[in-house]
Amino acid sequence: MTTIPLEAYLTLSVILFGLGVFGMIVRRNMVTVLMSMELALNAVNVLFVGADAHLSLVDGQVFALFIIALAAAEAAVGLGIIIAIFRLRKVDSTDEITDMRG
Amino acid sequence: MIQWLVFLLFSALAVLSALGVVLLPNPIYVILSLLSTLVAIAGIFFVAGAELVGALQLLIYVVAVTVFYVFVLTAVPWEKALKKDSHYRVAGLFSFPLIPLLYAEMLLVFLIGVSVSPKGEFRKLIQKFGNVEVIGGILFSKYFLAFELVSLVLLIGMIGAVIIGRKEAQTYDNHTP
Repeated sequence: MTTIPLEAYLTLSVILFGLGVFGMIVRRNMVTVLMSMELALNAVNVLFVGADAHLSLVDGQVFALFIIALAAAEAAVGLGIIIAIFRLRKVDSTDEITDMRG
Repeated sequence: MIQWLVFLLFSALAVLSALGVVLLPNPIYVILSLLSTLVAIAGIFFVAGAELVGALQLLIYVVAVTVFYVFVLTAVPWEKALKKDSHYRVAGLFSFPLIPLLYAEMLLVFLIGVSVSPKGEFRKLIQKFGNVEVIGGILFSKYFLAFELVSLVLLIGMIGAVIIGRKEAQTYDNHTP
């Protein structure tokens, strides 16, 4: 069953997580920043499930389920915040929100 | 051998779609690309033998979360984003060495933490039941408190999303420089 080594899952997870972090930095639109965050969360899930298949455990899959549930909650709250920002300020880009001088 | 082939196929699809998520300018194309990535990752879960996680990935992520993003894109005028530049090009180029630095930091934290932690002994091989049954058993016995806390977090997230997303009485102009 475990013919695929752990390194393959690890490499895939590293690539996907790096792309997610890079998208979070480089994206201008706020909704696409949240999408890049979903990408990074999924990369962590790939690593959990791959390590599980390597160790023949199921604990990591339970954590992957928790991550999926928390990602759903995070998407709801994050998109609510984006809609609230747009409704109050009429902006949807991350360089127009400079109240904290960031 | 066929498992390798399927794994490589799904990995290539996931990485190509993830490149689309990061690089495409139009938000509608980005959400479609994210959808393709999530389906490919669900395929990787099935290859790894995690049927329950793969099925829930398809149900929750691919159906619920993605449709939710599409709804939000209809509420936010994404056409305005097309007129401007969709990426911070110069800043992204300069921030590119940040990502190996982030990996180095995670590796350092992991190695330091593992080197001082006591050795865990909860490695037990559960092979004779099905995947769903084993996960359900361990979820409702060992991780039951975390399960209940996740339900609490979902409730709080729902209340927070309703409160944040409600209609305000007045709107504020953007005075920031």
